[in-house]
Amino acid sequence: MDADSDVALDILITNVVCVFRTRCHLNLRKIALEGANVIYKRDVGKVLMKLRKPRITATIWSSGKIICTGATSEEEAKFGARRLARCLQKLGFQVIFTDYKVVNVLAVCNMPFEIRLPEFTKNNRPHASYEPELHPAVCYRIKSLRATLQIFSTGSITVTGPNVKAVATAVEQIYPFVFESRKEIL
Amino acid sequence: MACINPVPQLYRSVIEDVIEGVRDLFAEEGIEDQVLKDLKQLWETKVLQSKATEDFFRNSVHSPLFTLQFPHGLQQTLQSSTASLVIPAGRTLPTFTTTELGTSNSSANFNFPGYPIPVPAGVTLQTASGHLYKVNLPIVVTQTPGRTNILQHPIQQVFQQLGQAPVIQTSVPRLNPCFLQAATAKSQRMETVLQQPTVLYPGMIDQKHLEHATGDILVPPGNEHKITSEALLSQPEGPQYVSFPGVVFPSQVSQTNSTIEPMLSASASMIQNLHGRPLSTDSQVILHQHRSDVLKNRSFGCDSVKQSRNTEEASTLPVSEKNSNSQRDLNIQVADEDDDVNEIIQIDGTGDTSYNDEIGSAKDIDENEFLGTVDSGVLKVLEEEADSISNEDSTVNCSDNEDPQVDIVEEDPLNSGDDVSEQDVPDLFDTDNVIVCQYDKIHRSKNKWKFYLKDGIMCFGGRDYVFAKAIGDAEW
Repeated sequence: MDADSDVALDILITNVVCVFRTRCHLNLRKIALEGANVIYKRDVGKVLMKLRKPRITATIWSSGKIICTGATSEEEAKFGARRLARCLQKLGFQVIFTDYKVVNVLAVCNMPFEIRLPEFTKNNRPHASYEPELHPAVCYRIKSLRATLQIFSTGSITVTGPNVKAVATAVEQIYPFVFESRKEIL
Repeated sequence: MACINPVPQLYRSVIEDVIEGVRDLFAEEGIEDQVLKDLKQLWETKVLQSKATEDFFRNSVHSPLFTLQFPHGLQQTLQSSTASLVIPAGRTLPTFTTTELGTSNSSANFNFPGYPIPVPAGVTLQTASGHLYKVNLPIVVTQTPGRTNILQHPIQQVFQQLGQAPVIQTSVPRLNPCFLQAATAKSQRMETVLQQPTVLYPGMIDQKHLEHATGDILVPPGNEHKITSEALLSQPEGPQYVSFPGVVFPSQVSQTNSTIEPMLSASASMIQNLHGRPLSTDSQVILHQHRSDVLKNRSFGCDSVKQSRNTEEASTLPVSEKNSNSQRDLNIQVADEDDDVNEIIQIDGTGDTSYNDEIGSAKDIDENEFLGTVDSGVLKVLEEEADSISNEDSTVNCSDNEDPQVDIVEEDPLNSGDDVSEQDVPDLFDTDNVIVCQYDKIHRSKNKWKFYLKDGIMCFGGRDYVFAKAIGDAEW
């Protein structure tokens, strides 16, 4: 019954954030002037470089740290990051692709039923926190997975976690609890 | 529609301001004033020829957009009306007098004024591009901005029309209008004609002069042409005057290379002279700088047509046939259609431009308005930096070598970035369309950009446009 798992549930990964280092100082001004598709935020000391192919936006610091966002899968994120590093290499920097790490994955999932949030919160006391006046969703944290889920009364759930696997696991875990507090349509 | 193009005026004013500004400096340095003058000349020339303002400039200043051939019959009426016609024209207008127009078969070249011109019936117009239009009804002619294109026109038709029109001068003993044709035929070769701008200039042409002119004409051209012209010249008949001479001469004759057109026009005008008319046309004879053979062809076409008609009166013209032959071919070429001459071309409003800045991609920008001139000293690059943009060249290329794969720490030789890389569509097309301006605001949402720009110059399609405010939308 409630352990029906999420077999039929499709989890959509909307965003994968990753970081990597170039191990070399980057001249932001040079990147801004010569690079293609760049936005120079001089006030905060960042350069945004947007790529089209894997549609990603990379934030580049002069220290050589780069954060890459907007990918829709982990592979794509890596791909994009490498491409970006290659871009920088072409600009003349001695770029070394190191410390690549996916730091965040954002996914969306839709339950085929609506959820009674107050009831859900009551049943899941320690993990769930619900403040309807602040935010219409229940914030459920799974410590072990280091994942956070935002559960809406419509049945839509937003999951963020360190990687795709954690996200998938989190959805699986939450399903039975959510299922308990579903709103039955008579 | 912007009839008056501010760009050349602006540039001219900029040039003058600068020159005036540095005059003192130059004097201080002990440099002659002549040097300054030369500098100014050089500068103006470059600007004029740079294509950035070329079309505008030429249109507005040097090349009259069209030539009026006044039929004899209209002479009287024209005299009265020419004043009105003449007056509004552009800079070069003043030289245009009714007296000049008064001569029968005078052909007047004048710049198109900024506003529509009423044209009496029976007048033949020739645009700067060489199109001939016979006006049978009183019409109003408006200017299509910035178009000095070589527009092909079915000349034969025109000429046939013309042929029917009694465009004949009787008051002045004409030589042979055929000369026109012949001359034009020859004019291809005629380089020296270019050098005879003085000859072309009006009011001074009398018979004698004409002779000289003809002599001049004769000198350069090839034999056959020579013969033709001579043959033509020998005929002191007044064939129907075909208002051909509408060739337009740019005033920069001295500067122009001996292009065919100038020669053609020169010869044409000369021929007119031959006709003995104090051709007011000559006054405005301006060599058209266009290189194309169009004019030549056109002239040939004209020639043949005229000649064919003239043969009745004139003696046999050996060249005529040749011309006609060539002309036939030429006419075929000439038969390109023009759309522009009577069409109003819109260069503002929804006309899009694209500009390429550091961002790299081509964008569409809607010009909101062109509000007049721009202060020359206040133009800045869009993304202004404190420093100059000297870094640009630097060493962009050097990075193509594969970098040190094995790193101290670890991992992933990026040279395997060979697979990874290659911006798929590298920089789209690096267009030459550039905008140099200041910005009020640049805004982006996701991939939607909005630009609020001010005080800029756009170089689009080689031509320069100036704006005080520009608003744009683009998608990346």
